[in-house]
Amino acid sequence: MGEAAERFVVEGLVEQTPAGPRLIGSRCGGCGTTYFPQKASCPNPACTDKAPVAALLPDQGTLYSYTVQRYQPPPLFRMDGWEPYLLGLVDMGEGLQVMGMLTGVKEQEVRIGMTLQLVTEPLYCDDDGTAVLTYKFTPAGTAL
Amino acid sequence: MRPVYALGAGAHPWGKWPEKPQLQLALEAMSAALVDAGIVWAEVQGLVAASSRFEGGMGWGLHANEVVQAVAEQGIPCINVGGACAAGAIALQTAHALVASGQYDVVAALGAERMPKGFIPRPPGSADDRSDNDFLRWVAMGATNPAYWAIEARRRQHEHRTSERTLAQASALMRRNAGGNRLARYRDPISEEDVLASPMVADPLHLLQICPVSDGAAAVILGSEEFVRRSGKAAVRVAGCAVGSGQFGDPARRIPTISSTVREGVAHTSEVTGAVRAAFELAGIGPEDVDLLEMADNSAWHILAWPELFGFYEPGQGDWMLEQGKLAIGGELAINPSGGFLSFGEATTAQALLQVSEVLWQLRGEAHGHQVPDAKVGMTAVLGLGANGGSVILTR
Repeated sequence: MGEAAERFVVEGLVEQTPAGPRLIGSRCGGCGTTYFPQKASCPNPACTDKAPVAALLPDQGTLYSYTVQRYQPPPLFRMDGWEPYLLGLVDMGEGLQVMGMLTGVKEQEVRIGMTLQLVTEPLYCDDDGTAVLTYKFTPAGTAL
Repeated sequence: MRPVYALGAGAHPWGKWPEKPQLQLALEAMSAALVDAGIVWAEVQGLVAASSRFEGGMGWGLHANEVVQAVAEQGIPCINVGGACAAGAIALQTAHALVASGQYDVVAALGAERMPKGFIPRPPGSADDRSDNDFLRWVAMGATNPAYWAIEARRRQHEHRTSERTLAQASALMRRNAGGNRLARYRDPISEEDVLASPMVADPLHLLQICPVSDGAAAVILGSEEFVRRSGKAAVRVAGCAVGSGQFGDPARRIPTISSTVREGVAHTSEVTGAVRAAFELAGIGPEDVDLLEMADNSAWHILAWPELFGFYEPGQGDWMLEQGKLAIGGELAINPSGGFLSFGEATTAQALLQVSEVLWQLRGEAHGHQVPDAKVGMTAVLGLGANGGSVILTR
């Protein structure tokens, strides 16, 4: 990451692997439940071990539902060249659903149930020129 | 537990009140509730207030203390409870327990709120890192609250073929109900066309399908049988009263989280459905006995989905119920005869107490202009941040 002058909006959400980006969640060593983002403990009341360890999530999922964020969110959100964007809820398997921005797909082409691939994209450039990345989902097969 | 009765309720009209501090709204709501109950401050033996994060409370959420220091320094317990948008329900639950236990005979529950403009901002005091969901949802994807409701609404369209028009009809019904309620902020009728012509906020939800924020205050005074008899008012009993929190595996898209861990067979919005179920059990009644439901309609989707989650009818049937007029005043189950959050705007901590006030007036036959004919059983349901849910059943 260092020499490319880029960083993620938040540390500890995404890991860049040689095969592409993966979300970093937790898997509980006690009950096997997968969470995103990483958890301090395990909220499953039936779990007695409460032993979450960091785990990479699958890099694909299916779209469960979506919307378009039509209004610019409050300033904590930053995006260069703001315009409305798609937000999706993606089923990652094992009952885990993750929200994220969609990219590379037009609203008219979005279909619930479509297969999506995890990607990273810059949201904005910091004052010192660092590209600030977030994770997004794009139709599988279109990602570079 | 001994029986507990709703002695009286009072509310300051909802709106934007730049000239009135939060404390003033609280005092006016309490004064109205005392008049309604036919008692004076000296008879109030305890005050439970919903703690606001926006104004008042000396920075510590001490809203009950602020009220008694302003108007009645009489040594009574001041209990301040948090619960975000469900705080009013938790205040009522607490007041109920104080009277039901026999320790006190008259206890008031109060919520008063002045809201900042626009999208509710992230509260101070949390770390700017991945441990805080409310940080993540902003910086990583800019997901506003309406986006969460829209994702639910879109999924409903996929599963139940809910039409844009039916979603618009929900807003039109709320506004029609509010037309006769002097406490509601938005009382002009709107048509389905008006709703669909309003700006899209988060597809499929338009501006008129999303609750705005408002200032408002409401208070409910609970008391023993002796006090309700003395008041000469109709005896309206708190037949069921419960609060709850979320269940592991709940599929709801819970603000402000960015993921859900979904498990088969776990109720959607379990913090509220759990409270509703517990209130039904305490009251010893079921959905078929309820004449009116005052529920948190943060969006038009809630009007369709929530009664289904509570067991009033099958999933997907809400569309038909609405289209057939069965959810209107005079229908099978009047939903939000007050006009709901869509017509009031949400004054977060006060909202649940406004719901209970509305049910009380309905059961007394005093809901002038929006009265549900011969209402005998009314229920409330509310949701708050942190997976807080609350529900109250009043009967006469």
